[in-house]
Amino acid sequence: MLIELRVNGELRSADVPPETTLLKMLREHLDLPGTKLGCDVGDCGTCTVIVDGVSVNSCLLLAGRAKGSEVTTIEGLANSNTLHPLQQKFEEYGALQCGFCGPGMLMSAKNLLDNNPTPTVYEVRDALAGNLCRCTGYTKIIEAVVDVSRDMKAESDA
Amino acid sequence: MVTRTTDIQTEEDQLIPSQESKAPSSQPLSVLGGNPVLYPLELPQSDTRTSTPAVGQRATRPDGRLHGLGQTQYIDDISFPHMLHAKILRSEYPHARIVNIDTSEAEKMPGVIATITGAEVPENTFGPTYQDQPVLAYPIARHLGDGVAAVAATTEQLATEALEKIKVEYEPLTPVFDPLEAIEDDSPKIHGESNIYTSKIIKKGDVEKALKDSPHVFHRQYKTQMVEHVPLEPQATIASWDGNGRVTIWSSLGRITLGREDISRTLAIPQSRIRLIGTIVGGNFGGKNEIRNEPIVALLSKKSRRPVKCVFTRDEEFTSSTIRHPFIMDYTTGVNDEGLILARKIRLVLDGGAYCSWTGTTIGKGSILAPGPYNIENVFVEAYAVYTNKTTTGAMRGFGAPQVCFAYESQMDEIAHKLGIDPLEIRLKNGFSENSLSPTSQTLQSVALKESLNQASDRFGWKEWKA
Amino acid sequence: MKSLDYIAPNSAEAAVALLSENGESACPLAGGTDLVVDLKHAPGDIELLVDVSRIDEFRGIEETEDGLRIGSMVTYGEIMSNPICLEKTPAIVDASHTIGAVQTRNLGTIGGNLVTCVPSADSAPALMVLDAEVTVAGLDGKRRMPIEDFFVGPRKTSLEPYELLVDIWIPKKNLGKPSDFYKFGLRKGQALALVNAAAAIDIKKGKIIDPRIALGAVAPTPIRALKAEALLANEKPTPELIVEASEIAVTECKPIDDFRASLKYRQQLVRTLTRRVLTRSVEIASNR
Repeated sequence: MLIELRVNGELRSADVPPETTLLKMLREHLDLPGTKLGCDVGDCGTCTVIVDGVSVNSCLLLAGRAKGSEVTTIEGLANSNTLHPLQQKFEEYGALQCGFCGPGMLMSAKNLLDNNPTPTVYEVRDALAGNLCRCTGYTKIIEAVVDVSRDMKAESDA
Repeated sequence: MVTRTTDIQTEEDQLIPSQESKAPSSQPLSVLGGNPVLYPLELPQSDTRTSTPAVGQRATRPDGRLHGLGQTQYIDDISFPHMLHAKILRSEYPHARIVNIDTSEAEKMPGVIATITGAEVPENTFGPTYQDQPVLAYPIARHLGDGVAAVAATTEQLATEALEKIKVEYEPLTPVFDPLEAIEDDSPKIHGESNIYTSKIIKKGDVEKALKDSPHVFHRQYKTQMVEHVPLEPQATIASWDGNGRVTIWSSLGRITLGREDISRTLAIPQSRIRLIGTIVGGNFGGKNEIRNEPIVALLSKKSRRPVKCVFTRDEEFTSSTIRHPFIMDYTTGVNDEGLILARKIRLVLDGGAYCSWTGTTIGKGSILAPGPYNIENVFVEAYAVYTNKTTTGAMRGFGAPQVCFAYESQMDEIAHKLGIDPLEIRLKNGFSENSLSPTSQTLQSVALKESLNQASDRFGWKEWKA
Repeated sequence: MKSLDYIAPNSAEAAVALLSENGESACPLAGGTDLVVDLKHAPGDIELLVDVSRIDEFRGIEETEDGLRIGSMVTYGEIMSNPICLEKTPAIVDASHTIGAVQTRNLGTIGGNLVTCVPSADSAPALMVLDAEVTVAGLDGKRRMPIEDFFVGPRKTSLEPYELLVDIWIPKKNLGKPSDFYKFGLRKGQALALVNAAAAIDIKKGKIIDPRIALGAVAPTPIRALKAEALLANEKPTPELIVEASEIAVTECKPIDDFRASLKYRQQLVRTLTRRVLTRSVEIASNR
């Protein structure tokens, strides 16, 4: 079936079998392998992307349902000149070790800050509960997200 | 502000030891031919225990930016023109003789390009310690995670469907799952005549006499469970066998030089014809320390003359990669009225699963660390690793150390409780200090056990909590 | 995943027709957080997925003269950010918050949770204590029933073949009724409930009116603790009474004894959770 959607601002389309998940469509049909397959059952969060303003597990969403949607993936987080503040802070804090959880983790963090620019630490933890990381123990990830929100607040206050 | 480690090493003498400092070993280090080593291998002798240039500073990872951009290429992110996808059929029984495998129906499916079974693997054994693991089980399958056949097809979906068309005739054998049952003489045997495949004994002093003379003797059995590493990236391999008889393998393996030996052995081709590319690994934790599906994928590539990729499903990651050894630990400890440990006798039974893998390292480290970081005059440790018809146990962070730690620290608490001694006090009383002798009579240096305990307990307010 | 067909009809009638035409081989798809996983592991005979998530009459949250209507295809994420739910049915918001994680809550639907009908379904107790009703649509039109009649057994609802859950109704009188929900799982995120509990009460002239207690994961379906409710009715809300009601609630449950938790542990959880949700509901009622 022909699926047309907007990915990272660009109109894309692909003819995929109906059982194709959005994750598979992004990785295999649209050449966007930044979004990862970790568990394929919606537990680990490595496949997190933002569809029409909300974060979802792309491994559980059939491409057919994403038809006509606005999708943001990790490839769309930075622009060609600058890193997204989250990417900047994740790098500075050493929040990613093997990096495999990174794309999903960052999309979840972005989804949080888009909806709640000044989260508490509890809210950050809650927002990232669907993203597993086996390397870092989460501390640096949470610190990085909190730091970004602090910067955002300082900027808006200024 | 982020500071790279290189920026903060301002004083040169922090990197080069001072004239007075001595190498830790008494013999000078040398390279082949007796030439002196030209660069200092020794760490700076000044205060490494309490300060180094790196401590307290943040170092940025060179690969951190690419990770954050989603530009890091893990194996599953790589693909080649005409690449095939492989899937592996797993055994239906935990213990069975494979009588016959018929792949003909699968091969007839459009899009299925090649199949392979264990009988076609040139040398069907590998392993870092004992070469007891088959690439694909044949003629005996020893656990449910054993692969029995594999398929390469044009899509992953087709390869999965083709597995259902493979007919395997099994003759089920009696399985054994409990390591204590497996240790018995009349248990079903998994390899050869005994299920005990590795053992270790550590003796120090006279433990029997010391236990007899101890005013208090404590005994308890402790057990730990299986643990899977769950790297977020499942094991993945791509192999491309070229027309010159050379094979290039992209693998998420953590130890590529060792892996190349095993691949060379199983494929029966010289190492010079194998190019093993260790890519960025999406989490290892010990679970990617030996080859897994590399020879299968290589052989499928050879047969199909196309690049082949194989990525484990999450289920396979649990059943067909290695896991942490479950331990059954019997601890008998003799103490005096003051809580001083006089003797400790330990028996460890390691559930090894179907194959040896990194059990050698695990049993060694587990045994040596089993008495705990305590000064004990009389120690006896016996450890046995036992085959069972379960998932293979191998390397995992700590190699046996976490298991025994759970046992000895649990027992320390029990002793403290029974004798009415503060749990911190009993550890400080028995704990290692500078120049203590380990159970294997190694003189220990840089021992900061008691300082660590005191600092930690001060910080979390142990005394205030007790008061 | 094996080959499947996918179709997204835009009305309940069209969806019901598609399901009845295709019989056993067709299956309605809601949020997909359970079904898509099942399809990857044990696809069975399913050949056609009828995506009902985009049907207008299955969507939306609105307050009418009858009460609050929550479309069956409303996601937990939508409930959690809905101002009406936040103000008038906080227990349903709390229950939604304990399900899965952000990403699964943005996919999973409240209707999907009810139709899957597992004993631990987190939305069920919160809806039960608010006397929710459900509307279902089938070949013979629509019918409405109390939510308790919807649950029949583990993974079994009273839906007839080709019937679909349309929406959930909370009666007007229960909007804003003091209520609370509490779930206990092995982890705070991404875990099934070992036990979940909800309570709702009103206090008039110092006495408890219309007490409701519902418990999940303690019987083949989510249940009401009717005897405990009877004890509370028309009594003065004291801590002692709440403790006594919690003890009675334990006797009304038949929890399983499995690898996640022992029978005894689950009973203790029933005791503690019932006490907590009742105490909190009384607090809210008293502070009004």
